[in-house]
Amino acid sequence: MQPKDLANADVRLTVAQNFRTLASSTDEKDIIAALQTLLSFVNDGPGTTVTSAQRSEFNKAHYTRTLQFLVSNIQADWLKKLSGGQRAELWDSLFLKGPPEQTLLVLMEAIGELRPSGSLDRIVNITERFLQSGRLADLLWSYCLQTSLSDSAQLRETLLSRICALPDLTANKLHPNNRPLFSPQQYYPLLAKEMLTALERTCQALRDGTNCSLMFVAQTFGKVCIQGHSDAIMASMAPHLSACTFNDMVWQRVCWKLLENVPQRWMESVLTGLVQAVHGPDALGRIIGNLVLTNKTAQFVITHKVLLLQYKYKTQVLRTILSYLAADRDRRPLLIQVLRSLSQAWANPSAIKHTPVEQQFYVSKALLLSVSLLKDSELQDLRSELLQCMLGGMQSHLDSSVVRIRNMGMVVGECLSSRMDFGGIKLKFEYEQDEETRELLFLMNPDPCEESEPEVCSSEESDPSPQKESSQPKLKTDPDSELDSDDDLTPYDMSEDVKMSKASQPRYLRDCLEILLSSADPERVELSLIAAEGLVRKNSFAAKEVSVQMTKVLLHMEDKYSIDGFLNLRQATMVALTVTDCLPVTQYLTSEFYSLNYSLRQRLDILEVLALAAQELSKPVAGDKTPLVNSVPSTEISPYPGDNPVHWRQVVEKRIQSKTKYISKGASQPAPKGTRSRYAAVAGYFFFPLLRNYDKPQVTFDLLGSDHLVLGRLIHTLGIFMHLAVNAPIAAQMGCALLDFIWTVRYHTDQMVRRGILFAVCSVFLSMPSHSLLVDLSDQLFETRTWLADVAESDPDADCRSLAVQSLVLLDESLKKQLQGSKQPSLDS
Amino acid sequence: MAHPAPSPIYCLRGAGAPLNTLHFCCRGTDTPLLFSGSAKGMIHMWNLNSRRPEKSFEAHGGSSILWVRTLQSKDALISQGRDMQVCMWDLRGGCGELVDSVFTGSFGFCQCSLIETDQTKSLLAFATQQSEEPDSGPGPLLLAGYEDGSLLLWDVTQRSKLSQVKAHPEPVMCLTFDPQRLRGISGSAEKKLSSWILDSQNNIQLQECVKLVNPGVSQLCIRADGKLLASAGWDHRVRIFGWKKLRPLAVLQYHSDMVLSVAFSDHLDPRQRLLAAGSKDQRISLWSIYNEGAATG
Repeated sequence: MQPKDLANADVRLTVAQNFRTLASSTDEKDIIAALQTLLSFVNDGPGTTVTSAQRSEFNKAHYTRTLQFLVSNIQADWLKKLSGGQRAELWDSLFLKGPPEQTLLVLMEAIGELRPSGSLDRIVNITERFLQSGRLADLLWSYCLQTSLSDSAQLRETLLSRICALPDLTANKLHPNNRPLFSPQQYYPLLAKEMLTALERTCQALRDGTNCSLMFVAQTFGKVCIQGHSDAIMASMAPHLSACTFNDMVWQRVCWKLLENVPQRWMESVLTGLVQAVHGPDALGRIIGNLVLTNKTAQFVITHKVLLLQYKYKTQVLRTILSYLAADRDRRPLLIQVLRSLSQAWANPSAIKHTPVEQQFYVSKALLLSVSLLKDSELQDLRSELLQCMLGGMQSHLDSSVVRIRNMGMVVGECLSSRMDFGGIKLKFEYEQDEETRELLFLMNPDPCEESEPEVCSSEESDPSPQKESSQPKLKTDPDSELDSDDDLTPYDMSEDVKMSKASQPRYLRDCLEILLSSADPERVELSLIAAEGLVRKNSFAAKEVSVQMTKVLLHMEDKYSIDGFLNLRQATMVALTVTDCLPVTQYLTSEFYSLNYSLRQRLDILEVLALAAQELSKPVAGDKTPLVNSVPSTEISPYPGDNPVHWRQVVEKRIQSKTKYISKGASQPAPKGTRSRYAAVAGYFFFPLLRNYDKPQVTFDLLGSDHLVLGRLIHTLGIFMHLAVNAPIAAQMGCALLDFIWTVRYHTDQMVRRGILFAVCSVFLSMPSHSLLVDLSDQLFETRTWLADVAESDPDADCRSLAVQSLVLLDESLKKQLQGSKQPSLDS
Repeated sequence: MAHPAPSPIYCLRGAGAPLNTLHFCCRGTDTPLLFSGSAKGMIHMWNLNSRRPEKSFEAHGGSSILWVRTLQSKDALISQGRDMQVCMWDLRGGCGELVDSVFTGSFGFCQCSLIETDQTKSLLAFATQQSEEPDSGPGPLLLAGYEDGSLLLWDVTQRSKLSQVKAHPEPVMCLTFDPQRLRGISGSAEKKLSSWILDSQNNIQLQECVKLVNPGVSQLCIRADGKLLASAGWDHRVRIFGWKKLRPLAVLQYHSDMVLSVAFSDHLDPRQRLLAAGSKDQRISLWSIYNEGAATG
């Protein structure tokens, strides 16, 4: 006790004396002597007279004080008197040689307090040198050895936050004169390097039999990751760790220990960063060991969160994780468990309805990957469960009205059934191959890019492809193709070379109808179907005589002879009929839509035909070149020529022209001629009959129940009618009716229906005149807004969300226009 | 702007029956000749200068004639009929004189194939199915097309099958082969022709297909200079393709019924070369097509 206290008092006395000298003396020699004395406490080079007890006392009790003193006297005269060399040797060394954690804290504190000045630059320079000279590694290493002198939880916490947030602190203070080293792009890789150095020293120490603690390094690691810098850290750490652990057991143990020591609350970000950065499951296994078995958080993250909830990762990450789980005997039960939860998640009908498609795709990928990793014996045990999942899941996938989900169901069903091998029976669906289905199918193959060389995985990406690519184009070149080709032979006109057919096309619409009704000759049926549209459009008078009958025949027609493009031909003819003879045909079609004994396909056909016809009617008629087409519909759409606004306007214009003398002689440019929309007059006939019977369920057709496919299309079609009716007088009434209708089904479970609804809402806001929007819908608008805001925020389907946002924007614009428009006249008056 | 499709330079009438087969013999004589075999067993020898039949005689007892060909000795003619006979005729008299006949025992529609190795020896293949001979390799090789749509390559001396490939889903109706290019083409009852090559190991390898507008081809013929391919279509049309790239060049429309046979003439002067097409409408049309380019080149 006595001698130690004595020594401590001695040190304190010396430090105080030197402080006093520095504060008061003006003699340069005294100053230098004082600084040298202080430096001798930290500098344990040869020829020093300071005992280790004194040094540790100085480090523990006086070092921080000394540095703070130096910082506060940074503007003192004596410092200016020192030459550059002396300053670097004495002043700077004091900062760079002592216990690094204290230095860092003092430096960061100084940077925070000082104003932009020469002294701040000085401190920043010192900090930069501190980082460059590897003091961070010393700092971390000192905590590994647990030799840090003053170790309290609070100090650790502060130090941790300083280390992790150094780029933020400096950027806040120094902007815009920040040093490049302090930028996150440079600092975090440096920090990663320093952590690796500390780990390397730990390995060395363990080999020498020294105990180390990785707690502080692990905390730093975790904290940096949770603060969102895991990419930068992992990019340099993961390859290095993977390479080091490849054939070094000590390194492996160090890595395992490091990850064990990461605090629970930071575990997730460390693991997610790691699985993304690491190449291949073997490397992951070497780095984290059996962490998933020992650490509950890690287990939850790896087996649940990453696989089921966070659907943002690449397929390679899924492959890495699942192969990692499959690679070890102890971890294999986890793979089975994961497979169970994946298959439940995949087959869950409510998940199919309420989760985003992207997430379902992700889960499907994970499911297929894990199934492909199972051994046959394990598969036998799980067979009944998987079968259950497959059948139920496929059913609910196929029930969905989204094509992507249906495809997903089919592909996963196929893959599962082929993997489970029901005595050679496989499911086989017909679906169009797209990128997504190909990716899913590809997952059943074993990993194509196995980890080859862990040592080089950091920089080199082995790609064996160039050889293949270079050899391919050669095959195509024909050896004698350039030498002499057919090019000197000019082809004759071959337009006469058309398909031969025995029967000739019907020339009258009635013949056409007759053939379609009664003929059993495939060729004649095909020809009349091909001819029908042209005949309808050519002779509208004849078409009007048989329009409804023809529509009826076409609506009930089936593709008995598998005619090429049957659906298109039929649809085009029906559209032509609807356009030509608008009122009777629309009346017929809209009434048939709700009647008994139609298949869903026919009802969808009706909707499509009506929508296309409305589109065609709303387009301006193509000029005067086709006077027949032009004149005929215009008379038949407006049955009362007296109401026709064009007529009186023409009359008035003629009168004006006849009585006006034009003085200007410049070439009068004809203004773009407005043409009347043929659709506006008949929009109501398209629209309102379809709203009539939707809530009357029939034996064969339950619009609000199971037939939501048709419901979605119906609402979408109504939206199209609404959209096309822009500027029509009836638009306001249509909008009100449509919003009323939509309101009852706005939270429909099927996303296709919801999309249709939101599309319809958009078109209402687009087409309705803004004043009637305010007047007629004033009581509904507020509720509609809240509903749309809710959808925009929380709908699982991305399209629905964006449509809702879109309609909110449209509503706001429309309202703004109206409010400004109504204000201005009031100001004027 | 492409030229309008050409029309025939003349046509030969009076055969009185569908024309199943045509064969030119223009080389080395003053009068170019065209032999035709009809479905009623008539063999006509047309003089292409006078455009009249020079000789005609009934052969094979009125049975349909499948195939006619002259031997290098110009006055000998071989014909194949559906009476299961292959006959050899001496043409030096006023009409054909039967020299020899072979009983084939086949009711099929398959045409014979003839290879003349030198002045005195010739080899005739018949009765299996449609066939054609390449002139490469050590022994005579025989290509045969079968009713199941496959093509087989036979080594005649070894009597062994060298290669087999399934070219068509329908029966092979016709095939032809270009020994210079080792490339052949076959037609069937469908809307396409498929081309194929013989590789160095004598394997048949399928290559690209040519789509036709209407289905059915009854005969294919390659011009001797290897530039043109003609097809006799069931759609009454003769189609001309560039043989190297199988580019469609022309569609010859004249006949009012199925075209059954096509043949290119063997004129020594390329400008005189003709294309003959025999049809079910009992006429033979003669065309002069793509002769100019050959004259300059």
